[in-house]
Amino acid sequence: MKYRVRHITEYDYGEKVPVCQNEARLKPRHGATQMCISSNLTVSPRPATIAERNDYFGNHVTFFTIQEGHKKLSITAESVVTLVPPPEPNPMQALPWEQTRGRLADRANVDLLEARQFAYASPYVPIADELADYARPSFAAGRSLLEAVLDLTHRINVEFKFDPRTTTVTTTPLEVLRIRKGVCQDFAHLQIGCLRSLGLAARYVSGYLQTDPPLGKPRLVGADVSHAWIAVYFPEFGWLEFDPTNDLMPSTRHVTLGWGRDYGDIAPIKGVFTGGGAHTMRVSVDVEAI
Amino acid sequence: MSSTTEAAPSSEPGGLLSGYRPLVGPYDEMIDPTGAIRPAWRRLSTVLDKLGPDGLVRQADQARRLLRDNGVTYNVYGSEDSPDRPWELDCVPLMIGGDDWNRLADGLVQRATLLNLILTDIYGRQDLLKQGLLPPELVLGHPGFLLPCHGLRVPNDCYLHLYAAHLARGPDGRWLVLADRTQGPSGAGYAVENRLVVSRVLAENFHEARVRRLAGFFKTFRESLYASATRHRENPRVVLLSPGPSSSAYFEDAYLARYLGFTLVEGGDLTVRDNAAYLKTLGGLLPVDVVLRRLQDDDCDPLELRGETMLGVPGLLQAARQGNVVIANALGCGILESPALAALLPDLCRRMLGEELRLPSVPTWWCGRDEDRRYVLERLPQMVIRHALLPRARKPIVAGRLSPVERERLAEQIRKHPSAYAAQELVDRSTCPVFGKGELQPRHLALRAFVAAAGDRYEVMPGGLLRLSDDSDQLGPSMSAGQGSKDLWVLSDGPVAPVSLLQPPGAAVELRRSTHDLPSRVADNLFWLGRQLERAEGTVRQLRSLISRLISESEPGSMPEIPVLFEALLQEWRTEAATPEDDQDDPYRERRTEILRLLYDESRRDSLRSTIHTVHRLATIVRDRLSIDSFRILNQLFREIGSGKVPAEMPLGDVLLQLNQLIVLLAAFSGLGMESMTRGPGWRFLDIGRRIERGQHTVRLLRGTLVRPLAESQPVIEALLEIADSSMTYRSRYLTSIQVPPTLDLILTDESNPRSVAFQMNALSQHVKDLPRDEGRPQVSAEQRIVQAVQTDLVCTDVESLCSEIEPESGERRALEELLLRLETQLGTLAEAVTHSYLIHAGPSHRLGRMTVPTLA
Repeated sequence: MKYRVRHITEYDYGEKVPVCQNEARLKPRHGATQMCISSNLTVSPRPATIAERNDYFGNHVTFFTIQEGHKKLSITAESVVTLVPPPEPNPMQALPWEQTRGRLADRANVDLLEARQFAYASPYVPIADELADYARPSFAAGRSLLEAVLDLTHRINVEFKFDPRTTTVTTTPLEVLRIRKGVCQDFAHLQIGCLRSLGLAARYVSGYLQTDPPLGKPRLVGADVSHAWIAVYFPEFGWLEFDPTNDLMPSTRHVTLGWGRDYGDIAPIKGVFTGGGAHTMRVSVDVEAI
Repeated sequence: MSSTTEAAPSSEPGGLLSGYRPLVGPYDEMIDPTGAIRPAWRRLSTVLDKLGPDGLVRQADQARRLLRDNGVTYNVYGSEDSPDRPWELDCVPLMIGGDDWNRLADGLVQRATLLNLILTDIYGRQDLLKQGLLPPELVLGHPGFLLPCHGLRVPNDCYLHLYAAHLARGPDGRWLVLADRTQGPSGAGYAVENRLVVSRVLAENFHEARVRRLAGFFKTFRESLYASATRHRENPRVVLLSPGPSSSAYFEDAYLARYLGFTLVEGGDLTVRDNAAYLKTLGGLLPVDVVLRRLQDDDCDPLELRGETMLGVPGLLQAARQGNVVIANALGCGILESPALAALLPDLCRRMLGEELRLPSVPTWWCGRDEDRRYVLERLPQMVIRHALLPRARKPIVAGRLSPVERERLAEQIRKHPSAYAAQELVDRSTCPVFGKGELQPRHLALRAFVAAAGDRYEVMPGGLLRLSDDSDQLGPSMSAGQGSKDLWVLSDGPVAPVSLLQPPGAAVELRRSTHDLPSRVADNLFWLGRQLERAEGTVRQLRSLISRLISESEPGSMPEIPVLFEALLQEWRTEAATPEDDQDDPYRERRTEILRLLYDESRRDSLRSTIHTVHRLATIVRDRLSIDSFRILNQLFREIGSGKVPAEMPLGDVLLQLNQLIVLLAAFSGLGMESMTRGPGWRFLDIGRRIERGQHTVRLLRGTLVRPLAESQPVIEALLEIADSSMTYRSRYLTSIQVPPTLDLILTDESNPRSVAFQMNALSQHVKDLPRDEGRPQVSAEQRIVQAVQTDLVCTDVESLCSEIEPESGERRALEELLLRLETQLGTLAEAVTHSYLIHAGPSHRLGRMTVPTLA
């Protein structure tokens, strides 16, 4: 599949902002199942400085500053990617989940360092008994990790209500567990927290989801959304992805921007501005098959 | 621990020393186990014996006075509202012999070198992780491991520029490290202050004793920071980034900035442009090369780091990444403060340096290792349990002081989350003699030692900060732990060459700043300091005139100026006049109460006490811009006015004495300000504030007196001249003929009288002309236009006719009142214009709203 993704973010400030420093993680990563053919970032007003780098996890970061007074900031990222379906994991090869936990716990096994960094608590995702307790019914003794994670993904999808009005970016997984509501970011954090609290390694994936228009309606430009899901480390398969919001394993409709320990590592846009008073933000995302 | 005592030491019978009884068990710094005085103490002990208790009491008093005058405080709760705690200092120094110290210093240098190497690896190749030498929990699982700092190269691989070790000496006489401090470690400034005080109190002995000086260490540190600059190698600018006056360490931040000659800044004073750091000053943006930061890692850059505060500088990390600014210490070094790391250091030292660790940590176990955990759980009552990663996350738990149930609960937690716990052995800290209640008593001590980068090596401060307690376990690494502190004297083998970065405290101190590096925030504070000082002085003068009349020998009822003065006073405060009740016995009772409230009521923003408190707060903020003596005067002013409730009854005579004292202090400050402050923009803003306030005060005073009916003029005029400090001039010119026109001329339009409004305007005219101006701005600034308008108004004033225009029925001088009202408004506009042009900055920083990412199922 080939997609063109257009992601527009606009900020309006009440008063003039003299200077603003930003970091954007809006360029899709290359990977085994995704190729980024082109990616352009357009910022208005024109940035005084732009610097590109890869972050600790290899995600592409654009740092830019705006040094002329402005009351409006607009950031447009336009990328073309091709996706191929990931190989299906063979359930016959799947190992019991305890075995994966055991390997991650064995410090002598330094090869697992890369995975292990996603097994610890991170700023948005604590390790907690409550999270482990919630996950436990999916993790019967001897069950394969693949089966267990699929079951946990399904349970979160069924037992939590999608509700964009109840949570914010700072809502913790423990609160989400209590109120049983949230958005994709909350479900991803919750599931990551469940898995880490059991001693497993899970990371947060940021990207987009191509959505189908309602039956008989035309595709609306800008109706698509930023999305978040998770990836879990399997010694036997490598990293496999799961989308608790949609109860599925992502394939060719999930465009990946990048990943980190949690949202904080991979927020699409971060910025700090001086002055400016109150501000409002508008986001529009369009994922178009081409 | 036992408190039974040893045999008396060998010293003069009956002397101070013979009364000293060290505890049994801990190492005593002065007395060896045989009861003999250790060699390093011999000279001091004879001095102490000679001084005797009375001599030491005198010296302790002197030390206390020096500390108080220098305003040395420690804000325990780190809040602007809570009072600063005075710094306590025992004036008997701790003596350490050269050999003893050199061994310790050698160990500290090795430790700093090792810690720097570990950081270089963690934020670089990560071989220690890959080879399994550092457990990943302590790095990848550490909240202080800052991902954005990975791969960020620092000049010369120098991550640690200043490092502090928290030390204890065990019963066997060996020094042990209890904690490492890397994120802008505090305490070095207090160590200098302690030294200045004790070396002065014991001046003679200090010079004879060949004590190693501290200044050389700071000189090296300063030069090393200058040398680390990458952009402007010739004349680099170093700033000390402080969290601000609400921080517990602000006294020290200001002190160190002054001592080292760096500009003291807060996050809002800096900005990043074109990936480089700049200081926002009145004259524009000035490049900054090195940031000596006293903020925690997380707080330094609100863009890339996750601290909850906005104390830092957005974009600072990017500027460092681009090699345009050096941050000392490098961001991310907080990871070295992990208590668990001590358990690994001996191995790491062998692997990385090929040496044994020469300065051991207190025996430490990390429960994330099975063997360590088993050991700790078996001996739990002897352990201090700490958070493995974050030293400040919770207080260390002395397991031996827990009940068996609590201890079992703790063991349960350790079994469940082993890698979150580190355990240390309890150390019975060494003791030293401390003077109190007329005798020397043993107290436990904690030493904070400092190590600074000096090129590609490290150098140790030959001294340190000592804190004291009678309970060994209560001396945690926190600066607020313990009761009191001590100076540390390290003896030199040979003669000591004097080095100094600081002028002696008694000398008149000048600001050692160029005229351009004044941050707008500091200018703003100086401007308000000037205004509040003048407000205080005006109030004091007015109250003094009133009170001296109330308690004079004449019958108060026979003095017509009293009601006028009183009303002028109330008008100054914009307060409704309390109608004096008809009290036959004491007609001024109501007024006395009101006067006491105007003086002492802290709940009124405009009371004299509130004004002086504001003066003190502002002076604290700009402390590094004021001379030490100026600050001392303001400290004294603050103490003189005191705080607390309004006294219910206080003889007006006592009030008068206090007002006289306040006038002297205020005058002393003005005098020093004139004499010892360089005529840079800092002084200019202080003086602009004063002049505007004095102008306004004088105008209001005139309005409250000379506008009033003629009949009461004579005594009123005398009072007016007195308040305006112009009686002498008036008498010398006009002898005893007291009249309105010459008075008005003298106070309003006479340019040669430093108290007149015209004089203030002339001074302001010069100031606004000399203020820095943008190229793009019009030739004549708004401020200049306002000042010129007022000056013209004054020049055109015909004093005679103004005085003779009297409204028939009220007897008031309307034309004069109109002029005065106009002047008052103009002065207010001037203050606003100055603020608008120079002192308003863009306001605080904000984070962009984080995106929520909802999606439909």
